[in-house]
Formats: sequence, structure tokens, C-alpha cells
Amino acid sequence: MSAIVTEELVTAPVDPRFPNQNQTRYCWQSYVDFHRCQKIKGEDFAPCEYFQKVYKSVCPNSWIEKWDSQREAGTFPKKI
Amino acid sequence: MSNHMNHPFHLVDKSPWPILSAFSVMSLVSGLAKWFHTFNMDLAILGILSTTLVMIQWWRDVVREGTFQGLHTSKVGVGLRWGMILFIASEVLFFVSFFWAFFHSSLAPAVELGSAWPPLGIKPFNPFQIPLLNTAILLASGVTVTWAHHALMENNHTQAFQGLFLTVFLGFYFTSLQALEYFEAPFSIADAVYGTTFFVATGFHGLHVIIGTTFLLICLIRHTLHHFSFTHHFGFEAAAWYWHFVDVVWLFLFISIYWWGN
Amino acid sequence: MATWAQIGFQNSASPLMEQLIFFHDHALLILILITTLVGYFMLSLVTNKFVNRYLLDGQMIEIIWTVLPAVILIILALPSLRLLYLIDETTEPSITLKTVGHQWYWSYEYSDFKDIEFDSYMMPSNDLEKGQFRLLEVDNRVILPYLTQVRLLVTAGDVIHSWTIPSLGIKADAVPGRLNQLNVFFNRPGVFYGQCSEICGANHSFMPITVEAVNPADFLSWVKSF
Repeated sequence: MSAIVTEELVTAPVDPRFPNQNQTRYCWQSYVDFHRCQKIKGEDFAPCEYFQKVYKSVCPNSWIEKWDSQREAGTFPKKI
Repeated sequence: MSNHMNHPFHLVDKSPWPILSAFSVMSLVSGLAKWFHTFNMDLAILGILSTTLVMIQWWRDVVREGTFQGLHTSKVGVGLRWGMILFIASEVLFFVSFFWAFFHSSLAPAVELGSAWPPLGIKPFNPFQIPLLNTAILLASGVTVTWAHHALMENNHTQAFQGLFLTVFLGFYFTSLQALEYFEAPFSIADAVYGTTFFVATGFHGLHVIIGTTFLLICLIRHTLHHFSFTHHFGFEAAAWYWHFVDVVWLFLFISIYWWGN
Repeated sequence: MATWAQIGFQNSASPLMEQLIFFHDHALLILILITTLVGYFMLSLVTNKFVNRYLLDGQMIEIIWTVLPAVILIILALPSLRLLYLIDETTEPSITLKTVGHQWYWSYEYSDFKDIEFDSYMMPSNDLEKGQFRLLEVDNRVILPYLTQVRLLVTAGDVIHSWTIPSLGIKADAVPGRLNQLNVFFNRPGVFYGQCSEICGANHSFMPITVEAVNPADFLSWVKSF
């Protein structure tokens, strides 16, 4: 039964860089990686979407909104 | 009252200073809280004033007991030494807490800081300008205070004065350079956890330098008044111990906060 | 769900909780053995009339009552540590559920497929229907599939809260600015309840957690119809 499900359900994989209960950095790093990837490879570069999928799955929506508006205002604390 | 006793211990006389210092410190702390919240310094000034007055009079009494009444026997001296050792140990732990906060925040910087230390937008001081000069000043003052101590132990009044005078001068020099550096700082205590850990740690160190300089200055004045003999000068030794402690704290501040932390 | 006069744990709904119950029973067995032994010693010591005026030491008994407790503590500690690391172990999850604690409700986000986002408030007592539980039922339940590995990420928007389902053997603080990960695996369907476990303000007691574990296929149709 669960085999059927795993085909349809895909989420961000376990990332060995973040082995702890605290996953804050998994979310943050994926967000930064996506926007860096887009900046370097262009907006249509499909492999970048992997990072987007991860951060959308892992980051709370309010964090994403906050960081998006920070990037627009130029107050995002990391250089993209 | 006869000064002769059948034991080596110093049984202190009645004194108004413990209770008065308690009240003074109480109003000092309340005054600081009031100042920080309402920007009104009245109570803080009253607290500083009364605390200073009590300190002057209490320690004046201690000087009279120790130097003129001969109540500081060698047994009492052991107690005084242990007291100073334990006091400095507690001060060390006081600074350990600030270093703990600093390393907690800097070793794994939060994502709100952009996972970077120093955080993006903070321009830290160049450690090899004024901070390095300050390191040299404090190390030199450690040498001069040792010079003064040896001169004192060899009954050389002039050189003890010179060494002590230089130490106090270097203390003042350090404080003025720190003040200049604070004045020029491009970040404030309110600039995230970087500014907070920086100014709380270096600020409390600066306060301790001022206290240490005052302690040494009092020793300098007492030296000119011939209070110290070549065998009996614990007031000076305590000041020297304290000064070395302040010196060591600065070395750790310089290495970890100014140098590693930039 | 906890019921009246209940002394033990709630029935488990996950392999981890089964292990936790085993460990609890193991610890309690040792506790009973020690209490019985010490109780017997105390009784026999105060009710006898023996006297030994020359007793100074007893090396053998001292070694025994030092080594034996040490061994007992090790027997307690090893399964405890095993369980601790088992709870932390992450297996590859199939879905991620995010939950954010607020004053005073939980909000949930499923972002793997499409953006599902809803708030989950406690049902007021006078809106309850027959069979619903006062102070535990919510207006929007969390729906999760059983026999599926779920990654639960817990955080908060204002103050610290704490998200828990006792039947799953799971609890984590919801801290603003931090994401805590929990592993959820239901081994059976059902409705499971939990309550905020970190004092978070006036209505701390009125922000319960209700999770419904359903058939994975039903879960998918729930997602599609959302």
C-alpha cells in the first residue's frame, strides 16, 4: 500500500548535511541555493527547481514571504 | 582600649558602611534601571555618588586598621589573600559568561544574521590598529607593575613610585584609546547580537580597567604617603593581581572577539 | 486520547510509542524491585534487636551496594539511550507537514504538492456535536496517511509553544525562528489528540491538536479535493 503512495508523494529528501532535529539551516540553505542558482544559471534553468522544491517543502510560508520581501527591499542578510 | 590581644585575628569594630553601602548599591542599581528606561539620570547619579562616598570611607577605615593599628597580622593577611583570590575567580566566571554568549552566537551564526560572522553590514574594527596598540599597552603595564613590586620589595621607594606611576599612566592611556575607538565605532550595541556581545564584553572590560586603574592610583597615593613597607603591602599586591586579571581578560577579548571574530 | 482515571499511557499508534511503553515497563519493573528490596531492608532493620558495638566497616557489603546500583543504572541507561537515538533517526519521508504555533491556535502547511494551508482552532464547547471531545476537538483536523513516513516540522510565530501527540510518542517545542523536525509514522488509522505543552499565554489550554490518520488513498483524494 505504501509503495503506491511513495510514487505519488515526493518531498524534500533527508539531507545528511543537516542530521539534527534542528532543520532551520536546511530551509535557509535551500532558499539561498535556489536564488543563487537562478542568478548564475538564469531563471529558466530547470535543475534550480530542485532547491525551490526543497525550500517550499521545508520552509514555513511566513519565512519565505519575509525573505522574499527582504530580497526586494535589498535587506536580505546574505549576498545572493 | 588596649590594642593587645591573645590571638592573631582581626575582630572588626562596629561600622556603618555595610548597611550604607547596601542602600547605596540598591539605589545605584535602581537608578541604572530608571536611567535605561526613562532616560532620567537623577537616581543613578545619587547612587554613584553615595556608593563612591561609602567606598572612600570604608576603605579609609580599612587602611587605618591595617596600616596604623596593625590589625592586619600575617594570619589576617592569609584571609585577605584568599578573599582576593576568590573575588578574582568570581570575576573570571563573570567574563566567562560573556565569552560563552559570544561563542554561542558566533560559532553557528543564526540564519537571521545570514549565517555569517560578522553579520552582513557590520564593519568590525581592524584588530591590528588600536586594539593591537592596546594589547601592547596592557602588556607593558604588566611589566611596569612587576617592576614596581620588585622595587617595593627591595625597599626602593623611588623606583616603586616610577613603576606604579607608569602603570597608572598606561591604564589611563588604554582607557582613552578605548573611548576614542567607541566614539569612532560604525556599529552600536543595538546592531544585532554582534554589537551586543561586542559592547557588553569590551564595555565591562573597560569598566574593570577603570576600576583597576583607580585601585593602582590609590596604591600610588598611599605609596607617596609611605603606607607600604617592603614586607607589608598587600593592598598593592591585590591591585597588581587585579591588574593582571584585567590584562588576561583583554588578551582573550583581543584574540577571540577582535581578531578571530572579524 | 486520555480517558477518566487512566493511569498508564494512551494506546500507541506508532512503533516508537510501542518502544517507549516497553521502556516504561522495564523501568517500572526495576523500580518495583528496588522499592521492595529497600522496603524489606528498612522493615527488618527497625524490627530486630541485634547489636554490634564493634562494627566499623564491611568491605564486602560496601562493594555490593556500590556496584549493584551502578549495574542497575547501566541497565536503565542503555535502552534509554537506544530509544533516544531511535527517536532522532530520520528515515526518508514521503511527505512533509509544517506546523506553526500561534497565540492561540496551530496552523498547518502542506507544500509538497500544492499549497495547502489552514488554521486549526479549538471547537467551542457549545458547537460540539455528539461524540466530540470538549477541549480536544478542533475545527480543521490535520489529515495524515497511515503506514507512511511523515516529516513534521514545528515552529512558532510569536512565543514558544509545544506540539505533541502522546499516542505517537512525539513532542517538540515550537520555537520562533527555529525549525524542529519530528518523525511521524502511524501504524493504524484513527483520530489522535494532543495539547500545547509549553505555557504560552492566557489560552494555552485551549489550542489542542487533532490528527486524523487515514488510508493513504483517502489522504490523496483529500489533498486533491482541498
